[in-house]
Amino acid sequence: MKKAIGLIVNPVAGMGGSVGLKGTDGEMHKKALQLGAKPVAPNRTQDLLCHIENKDRITLFVAPGNMGEEYVEGHDIPFTVIGTVRSETSALDTKRISDQMVNSGVELLIFVGGDGTARDIHDAINSRVPVVAVPAGVKVFSSVFAVSARAAAEIVDAFVEGVETTEEDVLDIDEDAFRDDRLASKLYGCLLVPSVRSFLQSGKAASSVARSSLESKKEIAEYVVEEMDPEALYLLGPGTTLRSITDEMDLSKTLLGVDAVLAGKLSGKDLNEKAILGLLENYDRRKIVVTPIGGNGFIFGRGSKQFTPEVIRQVGKDNIMVVGSKDKVSQLDCLRVDTGDWDVDQMLSGHIEVTVGRKEGMMMEVRC
Amino acid sequence: MLRETIRLDMNEVPYLPPRGVLEAAQKGLSSLNRYTEPQSLERLRELLADYSQVAKEHIVLSPGSDLLLREAIHAFAKGRRVVMVSPSFFPTVQAATEFATERLSIRLSPPGFDLNLGLLNDVASEPALVIIDNPNNPTGQTLLDRQAVETLVGNANALLVIDEAYYEFSGLTLADMVPSCPNLAITRTMDKAFSLAGARVGYAIAGRTFLDALSSFYAFLPQSSLLAAIEALSSRGYVRRNVQRVVEERERVWRALREEGAQVYPSTTNFLLIKTDFPDAANRFEEMGILVSDLSNQLPAGFIRVSTGTREENDAFISGYMRIREAYD
Repeated sequence: MKKAIGLIVNPVAGMGGSVGLKGTDGEMHKKALQLGAKPVAPNRTQDLLCHIENKDRITLFVAPGNMGEEYVEGHDIPFTVIGTVRSETSALDTKRISDQMVNSGVELLIFVGGDGTARDIHDAINSRVPVVAVPAGVKVFSSVFAVSARAAAEIVDAFVEGVETTEEDVLDIDEDAFRDDRLASKLYGCLLVPSVRSFLQSGKAASSVARSSLESKKEIAEYVVEEMDPEALYLLGPGTTLRSITDEMDLSKTLLGVDAVLAGKLSGKDLNEKAILGLLENYDRRKIVVTPIGGNGFIFGRGSKQFTPEVIRQVGKDNIMVVGSKDKVSQLDCLRVDTGDWDVDQMLSGHIEVTVGRKEGMMMEVRC
Repeated sequence: MLRETIRLDMNEVPYLPPRGVLEAAQKGLSSLNRYTEPQSLERLRELLADYSQVAKEHIVLSPGSDLLLREAIHAFAKGRRVVMVSPSFFPTVQAATEFATERLSIRLSPPGFDLNLGLLNDVASEPALVIIDNPNNPTGQTLLDRQAVETLVGNANALLVIDEAYYEFSGLTLADMVPSCPNLAITRTMDKAFSLAGARVGYAIAGRTFLDALSSFYAFLPQSSLLAAIEALSSRGYVRRNVQRVVEERERVWRALREEGAQVYPSTTNFLLIKTDFPDAANRFEEMGILVSDLSNQLPAGFIRVSTGTREENDAFISGYMRIREAYD
């Protein structure tokens, strides 16, 4: 007996990332399109479908058009289209069709999107069936998500083979606050997921304001600033650890964006991919400085989508500097990347040194 | 109240040493007004050399092996990066933080907590003092084998210290390499398998490069510790029995926890590493009167390290674990 599995894709998820919009909830995807953003979800969906091993043991129920149907052809999986949509899709379509899928008897629902999509799915189906959440959004902080599309395929296979389910969190991220440089999140609810912990990401841990952590960030910042090459362009990623560096230089940092620093001065604020690539053309010596997301360890692919595969490729692994307080790094099993480009993910995998203090490093494994 | 507490947080062996060893310690106390006798120190070195199957000249005594590790860092960290693994024996981590100007840790990641030996060789290619606990505390994993050590000591830039505090449980030692490897030192303790944690007798089996820097501690060993250690080494059959009992109990606990679905890791030591799903696990055990080691300063939340106690203590731990999990579920 084949497993009936639903597939629903948020076609605009993730489009705000490379253009620095920090999300596509509501009407923001239109602005993303105007800025030249390209769809992210289709590639993630293809990546997922390519890597499901148990294709002969499943049958798919897919949403119409660019919400699912367009991607399943050629994958040798029987499918049925559920529901109807107009040319322009919305969250209401996600909610309505996912509800229809569950009513049609799907035993597992795969969705492709970000935290906003997860909220919509939660609203529609709650815990009626388990889900596999494929990360494609700009905001992917909920622990329901797989660490990558390929990991999501592994979770689908595990479900087909009978693995148990468990509850994971859906976070409510205030996108307007996020765009306004504040990360305001609270628990929105829970969804059931196949219990394969190694393929699920951990939720984001809040930045520590413990004295030891603040002192550690300051120590890192002092050291990084002392060691800065005055002729190199530094692209500083999001987060309070990176803000400590600009604080040390008396510069103002975009907390949740990418800023550029050269010779002690800001040479770009809240940069998107296009602006970063433009800057890179002018400087031979360039470095990306990032900090892992507390709790899940992502250095690329979550929260810093402006560092696109092309940007990372141009800068190169040797010029990526990772910094993080000991408090934060000690809570991580490894670092993670999920850029959406498997070759870049492979290039980044292996070990990388994380600066955790003055002349103090931790060699961490990077997994994709 | 204190007597009811079950101590499973310090990796002690729960069994007392034989009566003869206790009597030797008491004899040492009868000369409490005197400094340590040099001939007792030499006798202990001879016995440890025999036990370790190396020449006496390679044996350095110390009140606790952690002091030797601390001194090695103090003596050799200048101009060298101190390379360790993370997690590691925490007093060594603290000593490195205190004395070393440049530090690098290699993260051991679950599920295997394996050490990437290629990476270790790479980072030791520049002047480095490499300190590895083997087996590792707190993961319980053996990290280095003979081939890995041969490669490391073949690198003239590397000084290698291997902490074999749990050697008697793992059965693996590389002490025989010391005479031909000046840049290798092994630290050990009689705290664990010899049931002498209260005596604090540590020692190094040190290569030539280490000998000068590590030779100044033995005078601090109290006479009672010395005499207890001498008697223990003279009647060392009980050590094998200790190890056998501890290993059997460790494996029983491991099986019982696995049957309950706990995430417990294999060990070659006298303790187990457990990943629990509940936050503040150590505090919850403490509320039940069971002390376990909280590892949240080195590993993600939920990891605890539990020493192997007596059968009754271990049963109390297992039932405590189940009660906490039921309450958490």
